[in-house]
Amino acid sequence: MTEWFDLNPEEERVVAAFMSRVADLRMPSSASRIPDAAALWSKARLIQRWDAERRAQRPLDIMQPIEIAGGLVAAGLLLYWSLPHLL
Amino acid sequence: MGRLDEAAFAAFHARSVSGLRAYVQRVVGNVADADDIVQEAFLRMLRTTLEGDGEEHWRRYLYRIASNLIVDRWRRGKVEQGLATVPERTAPAPRYEDDATVAQIFGELKPRERALLWLAYVEGESHDEIAASLGVGRRGVRVLLFRARRRLRDLLQARGILVNR
Repeated sequence: MTEWFDLNPEEERVVAAFMSRVADLRMPSSASRIPDAAALWSKARLIQRWDAERRAQRPLDIMQPIEIAGGLVAAGLLLYWSLPHLL
Repeated sequence: MGRLDEAAFAAFHARSVSGLRAYVQRVVGNVADADDIVQEAFLRMLRTTLEGDGEEHWRRYLYRIASNLIVDRWRRGKVEQGLATVPERTAPAPRYEDDATVAQIFGELKPRERALLWLAYVEGESHDEIAASLGVGRRGVRVLLFRARRRLRDLLQARGILVNR
């Protein structure tokens, strides 16, 4: 149990009694929307798989515009060098 | 996923979900938000490779995630909307037998203060355990808990529930 060091005994008693009342409070009754353990487990595994796929896909996503830009630059250079021979 | 396999998680979930739900509901003050937070806390715990072993370690980690989610949500203002459903404070109430008054007084505390008081008084956790549950230092817990208790005392005094200082 936590050791107290500041409130006087009466204050401490009232605070503790109040917290006891808080513990006994009933929230508005409503069915829990929390999935059961099996559903949570499956959902977590699914999210883990998506995260892994996203991590694996990330280098490809990064490289794609670089490849396109490289291709365009190469095509431009090729055109530049070959243009005198074509004319 | 560390040493937490599906069967162990099912057992852990069965033992911890109601306590965690009560904690989050009381700190957040809103059942729907609380259920979202509890679900997200479990999911984040499952997606993390837990370093320590044992149910107590998992429980601390789960409470820490939930506490951080509560504070995040409060910062975004959603919890305040939920707390707005608590009746407005009117005349000072000399006693607090009715649930609405108790909820109203408790709702006037900040989420972190509510979390600290819940863990200390309802869960009966030590400073070290609270520190692990909230992800703060032990010295910090002493100071924060002192402030939370003083704030609650002041709220009770303001309503005439606690008269002597």
